[in-house]
Amino acid sequence: MKKSLVMITIMFVFTLSVVGCATKGDLAKVQSDEMMTRSKADQAAQDAQAAKTAADAATLKAEAAANRAEDAVKKAEERERIAEEKARSAEEAAQLANQKAQKADDVFQRSMKK
Amino acid sequence: MRLEKGDTLPDVARHFSLGINAVSAANPGVDIWVPEAGERIMLPLSFILPDAPREGIVINLAAMRLFQFKRNADALAVLTYPIGIGTEERPSPTGRMYVERKATRPTWHVPASIAKDHQEKGDPLPAAVLPGPDNPLGEYALYLSKPTYLIHGTNKPASIGLRATNGCIRLYPEDVERFYENTPVKTSVHIVNQPYLIGQRHEIVYMEVHAVPENLNTVEFDKAYRKLRNIEKETGRTLDWSKVKKVLADARGIPVPVFEIRKGSAEKIEAVEVQHPIELKGKPEIPELKADDWSVLVADVPDEIDAVRLAAIINHQGPQIPARVVAKGAGYRVIAGPYHAAGEARDAIKRLRIDLGIEGTLMKPVKEVVTRKEVSRK
Repeated sequence: MKKSLVMITIMFVFTLSVVGCATKGDLAKVQSDEMMTRSKADQAAQDAQAAKTAADAATLKAEAAANRAEDAVKKAEERERIAEEKARSAEEAAQLANQKAQKADDVFQRSMKK
Repeated sequence: MRLEKGDTLPDVARHFSLGINAVSAANPGVDIWVPEAGERIMLPLSFILPDAPREGIVINLAAMRLFQFKRNADALAVLTYPIGIGTEERPSPTGRMYVERKATRPTWHVPASIAKDHQEKGDPLPAAVLPGPDNPLGEYALYLSKPTYLIHGTNKPASIGLRATNGCIRLYPEDVERFYENTPVKTSVHIVNQPYLIGQRHEIVYMEVHAVPENLNTVEFDKAYRKLRNIEKETGRTLDWSKVKKVLADARGIPVPVFEIRKGSAEKIEAVEVQHPIELKGKPEIPELKADDWSVLVADVPDEIDAVRLAAIINHQGPQIPARVVAKGAGYRVIAGPYHAAGEARDAIKRLRIDLGIEGTLMKPVKEVVTRKEVSRK
């Protein structure tokens, strides 16, 4: 029993001494890791910021493109409307010309009777 | 043929002995009075003979064409002329008759119905119109056995190819002269109205249609349909009925191939390009208008085409009223003349009003206006 107690005590002391030594050695490493982590975090934050900026720029670009597209569509619609109007006017003018020609010919045909 | 500047379809029609109906039906969409220079038109110079005995004179009212058959020994010759026919109200008769008598420089005894029409228009006619430019019978007349109907010339050549008579048959002045000489009294006259004609040449079946689908003549169409069905039976082959339907729908008055009795026959058909003649025979001449002539201001027109059309219509009156277009400011002026006396110009004003509903204005000779101004200054 006494022998066992002595063994446990020795192991405990040995463990403590070993633990004590590890805490000391790792401190620098922890500090280094911490620095690295911080640096990584900073980098990540910077990357995130850059990504956000890029995303914002892309959004702006997309919005501008969408605006331009909308503008282009509107202008195309307007041009189509004008073209349709012109075609309608031309058709009306042609119809009117045909009506005038037909009317003139009707008068001519009547004048050909005895 | 390619049109030239200043051509009108009635002038082209007359030159080629065609009616205006035939030329305008063959060329839908072409302006009759102001066609575009360089425009290509089709001259319908092939005809399908009507389904009638090939003797004497056969007239197809639907095609507005007269056929004269002449037998020389064993050969049968056919002469053909375009005609003007009766209006819908006063149509030309159909049936068999013959030439009862003939006359050169005929006097026109005005029928009561026409006298009444003219009276109502404010243009009373004498009981008889003597030979001359105002006589609508022209220089030659053939009186038919059916009372009051004649085949005659005209003082309105532009009416050939129109439904404009009171039932008589009109020919161009140059045609009626030849026709008169070639037609003895007692010649048989067979008048038919066949808008759907089926003919055959060089193993090709042609169809010629003169009535738009809206005016379908079912009796006549059934006859043509039976002929086509018979061709199918005889050959044991089926017609392309879609072609037949298209010919019916277009109604262009020209023979169109619808069936090859022997396959490949239609490949031989070729249209012939006709050169524009140096001058169109019968085209109205427009004499120069001088400062000392009387004239008539017909209208001030803003659009050039309308002005040209109006002048052309006036030029094609019978007798002719010479008219030209003159640029005036931003618009155009149509002026009729020349006239050597005020009375002649006033007669033209009256004709413009009665025949065309146009109120013309008398224009004095420039010299007279100048002289009067000088007199007033003195």
